[in-house]
Amino acid sequence: MEADAAVLIARGVASAVSGNDGVTPVQASLLTEVLDAALDVRVDVASLAPLEPEAFAEVMAGQSDEFRQRLVHIMVLAELILRPIPLEVALRVSTYAKALDAYDQFVRIAHRYAQGAFGLAWLDLHDHGFADHWQLARMDQLKTNVKLENQLALGVEDGPLAELWDSFKDFAPRTLGKTVWDMYRGRGFALPGSVGGASAYLAQHDFIHVIADYGTNLPAELEVFSLIGRADPNPKGFAWTATLVGLFDTGYIETAGFFDADAKKKPLDKPTMHVRLADALRRGRILREQLGVDLLEVDFHDWVDKPLDEVRRGLGFPPKSEGALSAGSPGVFEAAGMTPFQLRHAASLDL
Amino acid sequence: MRFTQGIRVRCADGKAIAQLLQEYDKNQSSLNIMGFIGARLYADRDTPGQFLIMADFSEVDGTLTAEEEAKSNNQRNETEGWYAKLLELIDGEPEWIHYDLLYHTGITGNLRTG
Repeated sequence: MEADAAVLIARGVASAVSGNDGVTPVQASLLTEVLDAALDVRVDVASLAPLEPEAFAEVMAGQSDEFRQRLVHIMVLAELILRPIPLEVALRVSTYAKALDAYDQFVRIAHRYAQGAFGLAWLDLHDHGFADHWQLARMDQLKTNVKLENQLALGVEDGPLAELWDSFKDFAPRTLGKTVWDMYRGRGFALPGSVGGASAYLAQHDFIHVIADYGTNLPAELEVFSLIGRADPNPKGFAWTATLVGLFDTGYIETAGFFDADAKKKPLDKPTMHVRLADALRRGRILREQLGVDLLEVDFHDWVDKPLDEVRRGLGFPPKSEGALSAGSPGVFEAAGMTPFQLRHAASLDL
Repeated sequence: MRFTQGIRVRCADGKAIAQLLQEYDKNQSSLNIMGFIGARLYADRDTPGQFLIMADFSEVDGTLTAEEEAKSNNQRNETEGWYAKLLELIDGEPEWIHYDLLYHTGITGNLRTG
């Protein structure tokens, strides 16, 4: 994208999410990184002149529906990190989204947060962010005959599935299957299909932890689900990012099936986390353009016997950026990417 | 300012009222933003069979107060339909109560304003 066009877009986005005193420093830092990842142009969002909704709509005329939708989701992201969300910000984002002809349920959900309608917001996010998408989702890649209610459903016992996942231990070192099995064992995670394990659907994201090389603590979950959501050709994939931010940063969501809220540490207070999140979105964007399928619908079982490097090349996973690595994005087996419980478990194994 | 509308009712089946509220919430979550922001149902421990429904309202865009939003909500077809179903479930006449919110324990110690 041309630098002048990127500046205009950044002005529009910043104007949409501004409170009466402009964007907050946290919003400015996050938007600078996320817009860089979306537009490949770095714009300092903290010092931009306003751009009215009508002018922004003119700038965006000619852009695809998907591009406008995803830009509105960036606005919503910068709104969702506020706690509380000022009503004027929710109204402003709504106005800009409507001007771009891209008002959707995520704009509405953020407005519900601003109202204090947290219960309705969760129903809205669940029913219109996940459930609609679920009806179209592919299931045969899950290797289970157990019917799942939705994407966030708790796992249920399924002996053949647990056996299948346990068989990954027999693959050669550094294959996808063996590495995923090592991650489960090292963390003390119950295998899919066993008591306490994730559902076969959610377990799909564990393949991505390994392939994308992300840890398993809360900041790393934000990374992995942001990558997954952005890689989804359907912009509704933003539901993952919206949910994880609500669970693990602002606490707007108390529980979401397999995940319970833990918003004590507020990872998005840190600029380094903005770099990491933006890099996950950048990687997701590349996957969306090159692979073009929802990663949770990929049949990773076709790849479990392949070396990880071959899997990454085959699926087109780009590496982490230098910036994300410098910002401390830990790999899947680094201690910095593990929770205290996971670290204690790993230490108890005496590997 | 928030506004709360309460309905005190007598009913043999509190779960049926909860179910009715759940259906209402599900429908509300599919619709455009409005003043209704959620409901609570309480069972009276001292008077078995007595229940209190509390519906909370807030401003939407500053054009109506929370109380006016509640009045507007009461006139919607969806709400009238819900109320008709409630009357079928309860014994006797409901008692209405109305409150403005002056204080609630909130998240003020947990703000991200920077």
